[in-house]
Amino acid sequence: MVQINQALRELTLKIVYYGPALSGKTTNLISLHERVSSDVRGRLLTVDTKDDRTLFFDMLPVFFRASNDLKVKIKLYTVPGQVIHAATRRLVLQGADGVAFVADAQKSATQTNNDAWRNLMDDLRSNGLDPATMPIVIQFNKMDLPDVKTPAEVAEAQSRGREPVFTAVAVRGEGVVETLRGLLQLTFRDLDQRYGLGTKLRLSEDEFLSEIFKNLDQPAEGPVGRAGGVRGGR
Amino acid sequence: MSGGHFLDERVPLGELLDLKSFQEVCRSFVELYQIGLKVFDHTGQKLVDIKVGSGEFCGYVFTDAEGARRCTSTVLKVKSDPVDEPRVHTVQCFTGARYLVMPLLYEMDVVGRAVFGPFVPQDLVELPPSLTDLRGLDLVHASKLMSQIRRAGDGTVAKVLEHFVKVCDVLVFSAYKVNLTSRMHIESVRESFKDLSAQNARLEESYQRLQELDQLKSNFLATVSHELRTPLTSIIGYAEMLIEGLAGPLTPEQLEYLRTIMDKGESLLGLISSILDLTRVESGKLRINAEAFDLDAAVANAISSVLPQANRRGLVVLAEIAPELPMPVLDQEKVTQCLVNLLANAVKFTGQGGRVVVKAGPAPRTPIRAAGRFDGTDAYFALSVTDTGIGIPPEQLPRIFDSFYQVDGSATREYGGAGLGLAIVRSYVEAHGGEVTVESSHGEGSTFQMILPRRYVAPASRADLDARRHAS
Repeated sequence: MVQINQALRELTLKIVYYGPALSGKTTNLISLHERVSSDVRGRLLTVDTKDDRTLFFDMLPVFFRASNDLKVKIKLYTVPGQVIHAATRRLVLQGADGVAFVADAQKSATQTNNDAWRNLMDDLRSNGLDPATMPIVIQFNKMDLPDVKTPAEVAEAQSRGREPVFTAVAVRGEGVVETLRGLLQLTFRDLDQRYGLGTKLRLSEDEFLSEIFKNLDQPAEGPVGRAGGVRGGR
Repeated sequence: MSGGHFLDERVPLGELLDLKSFQEVCRSFVELYQIGLKVFDHTGQKLVDIKVGSGEFCGYVFTDAEGARRCTSTVLKVKSDPVDEPRVHTVQCFTGARYLVMPLLYEMDVVGRAVFGPFVPQDLVELPPSLTDLRGLDLVHASKLMSQIRRAGDGTVAKVLEHFVKVCDVLVFSAYKVNLTSRMHIESVRESFKDLSAQNARLEESYQRLQELDQLKSNFLATVSHELRTPLTSIIGYAEMLIEGLAGPLTPEQLEYLRTIMDKGESLLGLISSILDLTRVESGKLRINAEAFDLDAAVANAISSVLPQANRRGLVVLAEIAPELPMPVLDQEKVTQCLVNLLANAVKFTGQGGRVVVKAGPAPRTPIRAAGRFDGTDAYFALSVTDTGIGIPPEQLPRIFDSFYQVDGSATREYGGAGLGLAIVRSYVEAHGGEVTVESSHGEGSTFQMILPRRYVAPASRADLDARRHAS
């Protein structure tokens, strides 16, 4: 849940990367850690087991001080994807302000993607969050592998829901920044609508996004079927 | 609009770090650079204070009332001046000495501050007026004491301070990582426990429901069996009277029909009695009437009841009773019934010319759920029935003692029976505090062994027996 501390002029957001096991959630964070300027991010905190599987969560803090002296902190978390860590996933998702659902683009992973998506919906509800209004983006990762979804199938997935869909090859850093940018844009608009960030904290969407993504190569590519912007802004 | 989550909780620096180890690290810095070091947490609480060379000078200045006031003011600035920006801040002491201060940050939050000093700046040539105007001090002496404090350039001290803050940064990050991991671990276990408790509650509810249904089934069987037995007894009784000619002479054909009626009626009565026995066991109404009895006679009695069928199939039935066995003190009727059931099965499933052997001898071991926790094997004996029949497939073995279970459950099965014989055997043997085991080779034969106490000991309570039964 967004924390707005007017007295300390501080805004804290929580973004959660959710998805089936081995879909590349941690790889997204590692890639962001490499790409986002070290001025605006902290250390990547990871707790993984011997076999490189996330045990509890990963966390990458991104922060900046806006022109009006507002301290903005965005904490990016991943959940552990393995089925046995259901309780941990639910805990990490508590109070999320936006969710990036990282799906495995391989056709063989359709079932596990569907299962994880249903789990996400259940976990959101059990945390008192409304799946219908929660800012969510979908990323089809591992697009470089054989037998992945075709552009038509990705577009089809896009057309079946309100969530913007991105494609990515997280190990090469492709699509990772775009996914986060799309999600942060959605999240900002959602919070602005609910809490009036723009008026109360005098923070504009442009400043919010440009501070985080400054010094980054910004490809113009947006979500599928809607270059350069987020589909269905709310 | 704002809500804290345990992952966002801030832990005071003093709790986060292992203070003793941290102080050792600080001391090694001080020894290396010969400049005093202080570390405060975000509330101003002092965690580390190591002085080098400044003790006597500061103590002397403090003897002057105005000196003490100015000193206190400097210390306050060192401790509380805002230092949000991650850079070196300078605090000038009225004596001409100097402190350099840097914040300790974690995710943009100030979690504490590190202070190097006092040191005498390289460029300090003479004592400043803010010190020399203190009338109560001997300035020559003060100057001598000040010379014990290290003289250093701001640039050098700033580098040392920055280096120290980097080390602290790693320590704080590592400590937070450990802290968050352990918090997450605890919360995950708590969350899983909540899930499991909810599942357990659901299972408990289902189990209660099943128990109620099971009780209903037992009651139904008992009632139906009783209602069936009453008219059946009359049918058998009247058939018997007709056979005995009480209603006049009968033709051979009529006699044969009546004998069939009586024969089948008795089979049916046997089955109904078995069901009643079982329902008694299940409803906990089973009573063990233990008395000493002659095992040889009981075995002979049981064999005689299956002999006609055995003879018809050309089977050899043998008994081997170990002579040294003392007389058991058990419920003779029930033990005989168990033996009859086992023998009936053996005869039923053994082909033409086979062998059925009843053996009584020492027990190979105590039963797993023995009533006497520390009994030796001599408190028990074994009664077994071995046949050379069709045997039981290994995957069926765990279920053969279940009520109504049949190895061949098909509608067209070759062998009859209601599947109650072994269930009754197990119930009776366990009610005695014994145990039934089975060994079988598919196609070669089976051995059922009852390990029974030589003397029945009533369980301490009904619950004990229930527990024993449920443990199975």
